[in-house]
Amino acid sequence: MPSWTRGSATKLGEELRLSAERRGYAPSDSPADGRRAPDGALLPASPQDPKARAKPALEAARKSRPWYLDVWVQIVRRKPLGTVGGAIVVLMLAGAVLADLIAPYGYAQTSLRERFVAVSAEHWLGTDQLGRDLLTRLLYGARVSLYVGFGAVALGSTLATLVGVASGYFGGRFDLLLQRAVDAWMAFPPLLLLMSIMSLLGPSALNITVVLGLAFGVQNSRIVRAVALSLKEHTFVESARALGSGHVRVTVGHILPNVLPTIIVVATTGLSTVILTEASLSFLGLGVPPPYPTWGGMLSLAGLDHMYQAPWLAVWPAVALSLAVFGFNMLGDALRDLLDPRLKGG
Amino acid sequence: MKQYVLRRVALAVPTLFLVSIIVFLLLRLMPGDVATRMVEGHAYAPTLAALRHDLGLDRPMHAQYAEWIGNIVLRGDFGRSYWTRQPILDEFVRRFPVTLELALLTILVSVVIGVLVGIVSAARQDSLSDYVGRVLSIFALSVPYFGLAVVVVVLPAIWFRWTPVWTYVPFTVSPAENLKIMLIPALVFGVTRAGPIMRIMRSSLLDVLRQDYIRTAWSKGLSERRIVLRHALKNALIPVISLVGLQMPLYIGGSVIIEAIFRLPGVGLFFFEALGKLDYPVVQSVNLIIAAMVVCLNLLIDLSYAFLDPRIRY
Repeated sequence: MPSWTRGSATKLGEELRLSAERRGYAPSDSPADGRRAPDGALLPASPQDPKARAKPALEAARKSRPWYLDVWVQIVRRKPLGTVGGAIVVLMLAGAVLADLIAPYGYAQTSLRERFVAVSAEHWLGTDQLGRDLLTRLLYGARVSLYVGFGAVALGSTLATLVGVASGYFGGRFDLLLQRAVDAWMAFPPLLLLMSIMSLLGPSALNITVVLGLAFGVQNSRIVRAVALSLKEHTFVESARALGSGHVRVTVGHILPNVLPTIIVVATTGLSTVILTEASLSFLGLGVPPPYPTWGGMLSLAGLDHMYQAPWLAVWPAVALSLAVFGFNMLGDALRDLLDPRLKGG
Repeated sequence: MKQYVLRRVALAVPTLFLVSIIVFLLLRLMPGDVATRMVEGHAYAPTLAALRHDLGLDRPMHAQYAEWIGNIVLRGDFGRSYWTRQPILDEFVRRFPVTLELALLTILVSVVIGVLVGIVSAARQDSLSDYVGRVLSIFALSVPYFGLAVVVVVLPAIWFRWTPVWTYVPFTVSPAENLKIMLIPALVFGVTRAGPIMRIMRSSLLDVLRQDYIRTAWSKGLSERRIVLRHALKNALIPVISLVGLQMPLYIGGSVIIEAIFRLPGVGLFFFEALGKLDYPVVQSVNLIIAAMVVCLNLLIDLSYAFLDPRIRY
């Protein structure tokens, strides 16, 4: 896999971002103080100039870090909100992974003498109608959100890449047929379709992950296709073909590495949507079945009567869900600004 | 223009045809059997076979599909519910005004908030009000509407002994009573949807305000109010409209949850209850009708661009 193809993609993104800053579109949460990336050498070239866009970054100053590490350094340096988002995500991950160790109780451990405790030294966030510790349940709930979120996004991104690259690269009748099917899928309000499928499959963590992954993949294959479509016209693809590379080599070795930043952006910005959708399905009783705790399920209507007695039952899961969505949104936005500003504003 | 509309309609037909096949197959290929549940749980018929025959479930799948779609295309008959035997279209038409009102009020709330805050944010870029607006939009983006809805139902009940009105009153019976009921759900849903509108309004207005014709307007000596509201806003609204259009399916999907929480007898609740009872014809037909609406709406939105920006011609 030639390394310059990867370089050229980030280069392109960086160039567009810098030119956007010059025109006055500061990324909403970074000061437009004109700080330049280490490879600001290409700045004089207009990004509209097709030659400059397609020119592989052979002459670029060699970066000390590969781009996938450099992005994180850039986020911490230039994106305060992205850093906050990243910290929330890391905290949530830690809570979910270490739930067995740090949770003070078992997630289904009931204690009828301690029902509806508000806040106490033993129960920091209170207990529910069966005396189950809310903090414990929130920690285990994070597991479901992350398991379904990451699982569905991983599955969906793979699907989106396969469908998008194949559709964009090969084009023709294949593309036309595939895109009509995608059209049909996208004509459904997503929640109605997901509800229909989930209520028939029956609620389970695996089912919801697969279904959400499928929906995510179909929806985002459009974006990947658009990128693949434009990459196909670049001279480096032409030269690879001229040198005798087959379709597999061109798509895997040249198109795929250049689509990768877009996929990363789509995946991170999509995580919050997937987590929210999982929560809404669990809210309706179509997600992960009880007694395993989920944030959506803890909020659900089934417990509404108890919430009048104990409002914290509604408040804490809502806060946890909002924080998680906020964290993934901010991290995703920061990554998008750095990796692929073309996707901005959608 | 006429040609463009015709072409779009012609493209919509195969799309909707595919949609109908997708819903139909999804329901048939999945596990879960409505007949068993109707006989065992509710004794709708003496035997399973008799009920299957009654409902037409014993016939081959392509025949069932042909009957369903044929009745829709030829007679406008969307079938009957398995459980109540009532025509689906009648029920849909009876309930649709509730969902439509909820959607329109929600859009109104989110657009008014989003556009106003967006204008202030863009016109006073990097000021305190811009900062507050941006924080608000991030907030609105992060709070899940059903979480907010549950909190809004629960907390005022505890603090002020106030609960939303649970019995629905149609708009035609008493507009004032009806609006009182719809206001809270629409506010809750609208506020959480205002975030993306705020953001896109701000960035699009900032974009337009930097164009040459705006500089010309400034040098003519026009007031800021006139420049922002008369000259810039109209062009800046195009991305906002396309966003609202793109989000339309989300409004409809979200109405299922909002209607369930606030007990509004709309299409969303109809759909949700039918799903719980595996009422295939209802689930199929409601999905199809709503998909058709989404397709038509997208066309209307595309046409509205020509009205907003005279440079766009079809």
